[in-house]
Amino acid sequence: MSEKRITILGIESSCDDTSAAVIQNELILSNVVANQKVHEEFGGVVPELASRAHQQNIIPVVDLAIKRAGIDRTDIDAVAFTRGPGLLGSLLVGTSFAKGFSLSLDIPLIEVNHLQGHVLALFIRENGIEYNPPKFPFLCLLVSGGNSQIILVRDYLNMEVIGQTIDDAAGEAFDKCAKVMGLPYPGGPHVDRLAKEGDPNRFEFSRPKIPGLDYSFSGLKTNFLYFLRDQIKENENFVEENKADLCASLQHTIIEILLSKLKRAAKETGIKEITIAGGVSANSGLRNALKNNAAKYGWNLIIPKFEYTMDNAAMIAISGYYKYLKQEFTAQDTVPFARTQL
Amino acid sequence: MFSRKVTSLSELQGVAKELISEFQEERVFAFYGKMGAGKTTFIQSVCRALGSGDNVTSPTFALINEYNTADMESIFHFDFYRIKELEEAFDLGYEDYIYSGSYCLIEWPEMIDPLLPDTIVEVKIEVQEDESRIITAEKKH
Repeated sequence: MSEKRITILGIESSCDDTSAAVIQNELILSNVVANQKVHEEFGGVVPELASRAHQQNIIPVVDLAIKRAGIDRTDIDAVAFTRGPGLLGSLLVGTSFAKGFSLSLDIPLIEVNHLQGHVLALFIRENGIEYNPPKFPFLCLLVSGGNSQIILVRDYLNMEVIGQTIDDAAGEAFDKCAKVMGLPYPGGPHVDRLAKEGDPNRFEFSRPKIPGLDYSFSGLKTNFLYFLRDQIKENENFVEENKADLCASLQHTIIEILLSKLKRAAKETGIKEITIAGGVSANSGLRNALKNNAAKYGWNLIIPKFEYTMDNAAMIAISGYYKYLKQEFTAQDTVPFARTQL
Repeated sequence: MFSRKVTSLSELQGVAKELISEFQEERVFAFYGKMGAGKTTFIQSVCRALGSGDNVTSPTFALINEYNTADMESIFHFDFYRIKELEEAFDLGYEDYIYSGSYCLIEWPEMIDPLLPDTIVEVKIEVQEDESRIITAEKKH
């Protein structure tokens, strides 16, 4: 039986980057994130100090996403956009654009929750790459600069946050500790690189004692700062002389914190289908630790392609597709929301 | 001048209440303190004191978090830590929030110093040698 292909344009503008993507059923056709190259192809330049950057990016980015997908805009069945959470001003650009697009082509408008998008990114299919989406129910560890959450996913559109940070995100702990060691921002990738040459058990840092499945990284950050402050008093070259061991020990602690709650969630729910999302999923130490635990506890571990773990519109487009199938459309009078909710 | 010494986390809630009642008319509070001084932690207490039950987390990545009080009044929690240029503050539309009349609690205000409104409450958190904190607050015109 031949099935009609559903083509969705996705738009993401919740924080720093403007992105647009085109998806046909689960198959990704294009995924464009605003950068210098986008503007070159569009024939413009990125101003150094782009005021209201999203407004300047959105048209070139959508235009390029449609071109790269090899479709005509009249082929698009619906437009999906990030309604929140995020920065209101940024969200408003994507929301307004999507509304205009929907009105002008007379196609449905679909709102997507940014966090739901991160989870549904796991279902993106790519040409020529083996398709290996998770099976319901599964647990998703969402870790990024702004999020640290454990999400219980029962179905495409039925998910629940069962644990989350009560202060800082894991990515922030990486970045801020990296900063005090003199590493550039964002520091996560630098810590990861240096950690490979260091001893993860050389230094002990404090671990939070938070009940249930919630996370806390603020105490670790403070402990790390004061540890360095005290050591530098004794030896001003302490950081330089011990950088690899500091990075390895810090990374080890953050990963242990992340995994302790994930293991607990797996045990409490009895779910062995485990996935990861968000930018921190690029961390090689975290990937290895997840693989070791998967082998030990019999988890089926799914790690998505890095491109789709960052903020991107492909995840919004795929979410839009699943909502389209359920005919969950959005009215023109919808306004963005800034606060986290799922 | 408003000045309190805090030796344990359990004292923060009381200090937050006193801060709010001391500056009842003010809405924009700028929190100064080094990394790890406890700005986010103190703001958690301030939000509780303002009657919000929301999960108050660091906005370093998100730049602005919005919470609600029990009466559904907005509280805006800013963090300008990763701002490099003043233009970026304009890009977020910071003025729509700061001049909204809602409570605005700002971390790393020094990054946008020229853009701060004329009247603010400067809250300083200073870490002492014994890791206790001195919290001072003063209205600036």
